[in-house]
Amino acid sequence: MSDRKMPLAGVRVLDFTWAWAGPFATLQLAHMGAEVIRVETANRPCITRMIPPFADDVSGPNRAGYFNQYNQGKRSITLNLAEPAGLKVVYDLVRHCDVAVENFAGGVAVKMGLGYEKLREFRPDLVMISMSGYGQNGPYRGYLGYGPPAAALSGFFNQMGYAGMGPMELGISYMDPNAGIFGAIAVMAALVNRKKTGKGQYIDQSQLETAVALMGEGLMHYELTGEEPQRAGNHDRVMAPHETYKTLGDADKWVSIAVGNEEEWRKLCAAMGKPSLADDPRFNSQSARKRNERELDAIIGEWTSKRDRWDITRALQAAGVAAFPSMSNKDLATDQHLRARDFLIEMPHAEVGRKTHVGMPWTIADSPRRVSSAAPLRGADTDSILTDLLGYAPEKIAELRKAGALT
Amino acid sequence: MSEADGTPRGMLSGVNVVECGEGVAAAFAAKMMADLGANVIKIEPLAGDATRHRGPFPKAHPDPEKSGLFLYLNNNKRGVTIDLTSADGSLLLGKLLARADILIHNVHPRERATSGLESAVLAREFPELIIAGISPFGDSGPYRDWKGYALNLENAGGMAFLAPGASQSPDLPPLKAFGQQPEFQAGLHTCYAVLAAYWSRLNGEKPIAIEVSEQECIAAMLEMNLMHYTYAGRETSRLGKRVLGPWLLAECSDGVIFVACAEEPQWQRMVEVMGDPEWAHEELFKDRLTRGDNADALNLFIREWAATRKMRDVFHQGQAKRVPFAAVNSMKDIYEDDQLKSREYFVSADSPGIGKRRMPGAPSRYGAEGWSLRMIAPRLGQHNEEVFNGELGLSKGELATLQRSHVI
Repeated sequence: MSDRKMPLAGVRVLDFTWAWAGPFATLQLAHMGAEVIRVETANRPCITRMIPPFADDVSGPNRAGYFNQYNQGKRSITLNLAEPAGLKVVYDLVRHCDVAVENFAGGVAVKMGLGYEKLREFRPDLVMISMSGYGQNGPYRGYLGYGPPAAALSGFFNQMGYAGMGPMELGISYMDPNAGIFGAIAVMAALVNRKKTGKGQYIDQSQLETAVALMGEGLMHYELTGEEPQRAGNHDRVMAPHETYKTLGDADKWVSIAVGNEEEWRKLCAAMGKPSLADDPRFNSQSARKRNERELDAIIGEWTSKRDRWDITRALQAAGVAAFPSMSNKDLATDQHLRARDFLIEMPHAEVGRKTHVGMPWTIADSPRRVSSAAPLRGADTDSILTDLLGYAPEKIAELRKAGALT
Repeated sequence: MSEADGTPRGMLSGVNVVECGEGVAAAFAAKMMADLGANVIKIEPLAGDATRHRGPFPKAHPDPEKSGLFLYLNNNKRGVTIDLTSADGSLLLGKLLARADILIHNVHPRERATSGLESAVLAREFPELIIAGISPFGDSGPYRDWKGYALNLENAGGMAFLAPGASQSPDLPPLKAFGQQPEFQAGLHTCYAVLAAYWSRLNGEKPIAIEVSEQECIAAMLEMNLMHYTYAGRETSRLGKRVLGPWLLAECSDGVIFVACAEEPQWQRMVEVMGDPEWAHEELFKDRLTRGDNADALNLFIREWAATRKMRDVFHQGQAKRVPFAAVNSMKDIYEDDQLKSREYFVSADSPGIGKRRMPGAPSRYGAEGWSLRMIAPRLGQHNEEVFNGELGLSKGELATLQRSHVI
């Protein structure tokens, strides 16, 4: 235990985000100790409150695992942003906030009265980021953008797939959390800049551009060779073996094995009980292994098919070879390593009790690793924020509620 | 866009970063900072970083000064070479760290002692330094010492087990995404964490040491999959069908289009874009669930419609009517994309021996002085003299000795 303050203690964030990319950005800020006030509104309920899985399969906006994972440690206020009285509350809130975050489609925040030029009237040194699909200008500004289209447009679907087959999809909407962490970085850089200059700023982030930033090797491949990188399943352009192999039994159990140099190759052969394979002319150099990769995969696959994936992993890791099972959600939720590291956490939640979530993927030395609280119930903090932060009298709050501004 | 004079500028100018390790993770974290103006010194082993040897290379001809991945990751940095496992190398590292605000490295926990990179030791020696160490499985726990390349870590983090999405082929393995995604994500999370730490130090707090696990970076971004198990006891995998429809990849005459119209109004508009064909009004396709159930039939019709059309035409015609089509772009398509061009996303880096090459630029437009390309990625050891002699004050004689004894 340590009495260290979290790095962003004292930073207050007004969070207009929804779905996944935006909430993932503000989750990072909450993880570092910022006070994140998530503005929820009945006209645009967050999709992640409305889709399964629900705790124990009982549906309800506070029971959705998706919302409860990516909104840990945040507060929730419900405001009707279509009502002038609701917007007025937003403007009162902005005065007390360092950062505002939104991830509507390009141009939408301005129409809603939440544009940077409007908000900075109330907080001149505000740091604001818009995290749209394509950016606030350009021909696609009004296009619909989600994570999966961004993965298509940034080349990830074209590069995904087994050799000899067509493009395929990623398994998750990867470009959403990617945009989220890029957004969190931009906000931090702007806060550092504000500290130096006293000035806030507006940041216009494009999900497409954050996705293409991960495609550097593929783009440089085209730029330097004039050729498109090839779809090759799990195979690597350079390393071999480099594959995920079926293991013992009929179940969907696999182990990934990758070899990056000659030392690892010799150790793999020894660990498989096939030391003579190391000097086999088909496999005795990286380029030879790459050339004869299918033959090599058949040999390794034959060996893994008779063994348990964890036995394989332990044996190869003990020998100094990179191997790991392909983990399912159950494998992760029950993993001893992630448990020992306090990456898996259970915080009390008023409706779902203590359900397992994951916390932050970093650790601060000598500090406990935990989120400050579970995700908020919808609107849980409305009254306390209006009272304690804005100093509204009970009568004023009652009036706003009656006028439908707090839904 | 190019500002090749090397003058410090940008939001993070004045932030001094030392980067070491190999590959993508630490390099990408430091790149994010260098691109915003931080002064980054990259320490490479004498043989050069692994990405120098990986390529891709012009005409596929290996040359450590012409690797595309290295160039992409290391613009705006200065580069020095140090053998960190030597005693003199450790001394040099110490001199660099004494002048630095932030150290970012991805030296494996097993190898930190021999490279002088144990966080606890460094924190005592350099009380003002923010330290970030990246590793495959983190600095503690039963897998701490294990190795992991991107393939292993995408599997260890649970992302590969879900890919490719909606697979019908149980005999084909879980699939990794292109590139070194666990390393990119660890780099991004590290950059974020050190910036938060720097902010806190600017506010008078003590600097902190951070460790980042690549496995956890992936496991922290699995959409709602983890909770399918922890909330409702269900295991998820790549196998199965999309519940809602239409959701598919369809071949066009010159490429592939991604179609995901899960919302009813989107489907109605898509029907319009397709010219209101009779089949779209069949009972089989009356709502998104029945369209999901009857995806085999639905997809045949959509594929037939797409087959005679051009990918970009379908993409733009759909989006013009607010239908979320997306082109399945190749690398060439990305470079030619109208939106990226319009926002001047790509920058041109003029590297010696390679010439001008386009690569991704700023991921955001900033109100303050933001992203800039100021320097081309360093040649191996390019800044040894400038840094060791010019800034650390070593004499030319000392430099020559260090070079002879293969320390630098």
